[in-house]
Amino acid sequence: MRSPRGGAGDNARMPTHHLEDARALLAEYPIADGHNDLPWALREKARYDIDRLDIAADQTGRLHTDLARLRAGGVGAQFWSVYVRTDLTGDSAVSATLEQIDCVRQLLDRHPAELRRALTAADMEAARGEGRIASLMGAEGGHSINNSLATLRALHTLGVRYMTLTHNDNIAWADSATDEPGVGGLSPFGHEVVREMNRIGMLVDLSHVAATTMRAALDTSTAPVVFSHSSSRAVCDHPRNIPDDVLERLPGNGGVAMATFVPKFVLQAAVDWTAAADDNMRAHGFHHLDTTPEAMKVHEAFEATNPRPVATTSTVADHLDHMREAAGVDHIGIGGDYDGTAFTPDGLDDVAGYPNLIAELLSRGWSKADLAKLTWQNAVRVLGAAEDVARDLGARRGPSVATLDQLDG
Amino acid sequence: MADLHDDEDIPLGNGGASARAEGEEEAEELRPGAPEPEERARALLTEHPVADGHSGLPWALSRLTWYDLELGDTALQTDLPRLREGAVGAMFWSLRLPQAYEGNRAVSATLALIDLAETVVRAHPEGLRLAHTASHTADARAHGRIACMLGPAAATAIDDCLGTLRALHKLGVRSLAMSGTRWVGEQGLSRFGEEVVREMNRLGVLADLSGSSAATVKHVLTVSKAPVIFSRSAAHALTPHPDNVPDELLAALRDNNGLCLVPCTAAQTGPALRDVADHLDHVRRVAGPECVGISGMYDTESALPDGLHDTSRYPQLIAELLDRGWSDADVSRLTWGNVQRVLRDADFAARAAQLRRLPSTATLERLDGVREVGLVG
Repeated sequence: MRSPRGGAGDNARMPTHHLEDARALLAEYPIADGHNDLPWALREKARYDIDRLDIAADQTGRLHTDLARLRAGGVGAQFWSVYVRTDLTGDSAVSATLEQIDCVRQLLDRHPAELRRALTAADMEAARGEGRIASLMGAEGGHSINNSLATLRALHTLGVRYMTLTHNDNIAWADSATDEPGVGGLSPFGHEVVREMNRIGMLVDLSHVAATTMRAALDTSTAPVVFSHSSSRAVCDHPRNIPDDVLERLPGNGGVAMATFVPKFVLQAAVDWTAAADDNMRAHGFHHLDTTPEAMKVHEAFEATNPRPVATTSTVADHLDHMREAAGVDHIGIGGDYDGTAFTPDGLDDVAGYPNLIAELLSRGWSKADLAKLTWQNAVRVLGAAEDVARDLGARRGPSVATLDQLDG
Repeated sequence: MADLHDDEDIPLGNGGASARAEGEEEAEELRPGAPEPEERARALLTEHPVADGHSGLPWALSRLTWYDLELGDTALQTDLPRLREGAVGAMFWSLRLPQAYEGNRAVSATLALIDLAETVVRAHPEGLRLAHTASHTADARAHGRIACMLGPAAATAIDDCLGTLRALHKLGVRSLAMSGTRWVGEQGLSRFGEEVVREMNRLGVLADLSGSSAATVKHVLTVSKAPVIFSRSAAHALTPHPDNVPDELLAALRDNNGLCLVPCTAAQTGPALRDVADHLDHVRRVAGPECVGISGMYDTESALPDGLHDTSRYPQLIAELLDRGWSDADVSRLTWGNVQRVLRDADFAARAAQLRRLPSTATLERLDGVREVGLVG
């Protein structure tokens, strides 16, 4: 049976034994989260001065993420996003991405007791065994490689294990979900990027990309793909979500769709409200994703006159229910997008909130075996499978020297 | 300190030599009386091979559609048969870029050269090995491989960003040119430039001062806690080429315990092998025998002196030096020991700095008051 929808009292009505069971489950199979934007938040809020915004201290109100709340949330693995904004192009995007990677390295160097560098599925399991948080990296957008497969390989060498093919804007070789159709999915070079990612063992991330791009990548990829932070389009019709025909291809591909919590993607009323809020931000001369204090002030003024529709734990659970139906329990996961979104659902306010979601799913009758797949096992399996494909391809094929000019003319 | 490091290297050298059949052969020939200089040179080089301070191989290979360094290739001045003939044991692979790549292409172009270097080394596992430290270099040599070190990279390759510098270091870059950016120019270093040098010290990335202004050289020598190098500079006193070093700075280099690697190019040293030897004589005299080395400059499209037309010709150059009365000890420092010492000193300085300093978060706009490019709003 489903719990009642909506309202701030949602968690209060949750039977406490579900929450205890959720915590016990997470102690064994912790959350492997697909997407957290802490590095970008550190760049924007502290210009990478990690003394000033130290995640060893309580950062409630400043960040969604700190070490204590990761622990409280039962997080056992995190793909840290090394996102850079798409108005950075060419070398500036590459350099900024390298700087983001450097930031993650500094976090790992600084907190060795809590965070463990992870490059493989085996590293993830080792971290779980040690009670540390496996820390992986994902690049968010093909602009980060500046149309160069050599740069893609450099990112892999530096530890990046997935690349989202686009962010919110089209790039030369792939279409974004939130832009006008360009190359119609993937260009020939885009297909080559996917093949090279397969060869080196970099997961192809299809969050943010157009449905045409999702289908094109699934046609070409011989390794499982991921959606690092996308929910279901059937439940909430937003271009950032995954259509059912794509979810239904995941069993054949072996990939995993990690549901995101971002209210403006998961709740229809929030989708509409956000469109109005973004217009307001642009009218005030800000980028609509800007989270600087000045920008947030403009946002807050808008919110004062236009009450924000509130998503809840239950809203996210609705997506997971549907995704489990459409893709199967072996092909779903969680990608909260913390510190990458201004707002979060009630009950999932920050990285300490995951147990509430697991408790909600328990109350809906999800089995512990299914939940273990959702939180941990599917993510580990996908990375391991990508490694297997890379070992096989790497033995048969050398590095691709294809260029955008050569393949796309 | 230099002597201490030399002592460390000698047992390794003997180990390397005894692993090679030709080493024993030549040792046999050494016994009956005074050998010809070239035979003596070869015997010495077997124990102390050439660590070449500047090879243009990565960029040259990036222009070719096909190559096989094991078979050899006339389109290049470098291949494995000729490297072995020339007794080369280590090389710095330059990641410098043509002028056209300055601006918004330097980072990507540098990553492409690093990627190519990795591919080339992987394709020649019997001949080449990537090395990041002096220990890797010694290890490669003990296995009969030529150690390939990455550097210098162009100063523009770090995009005015210390995080990018650290990423390049992670990818293996071990020296950086010091010219042509907003933080290092004719006037020397800006405040951010000083921070770049300190961060390079902390990481173990050598400052390469060939092509830097005199003001920059002096400024870097003041700031740097680690030895610096000139990866391709001869004596200005003999050939007044802009990239050559005046005696005053060669003397300063001696105090820094750095290294001047004399290039084998007609423009900087002169048209003949003996001209290169003259420059080596001069640099040894002014900077000291601990601060001189050799840069082949092969595959950099430089005109080469007669008799030094490819990477096989180092024994002839060393024979000339022996003929001029260089001691075995000075030759061994010139070819191998000095580069090893500088790499070890840089590693040592880096370890010491890492105990005191965290990664620097300084930015160009904060230290130099320049508006950051690329950020909006």
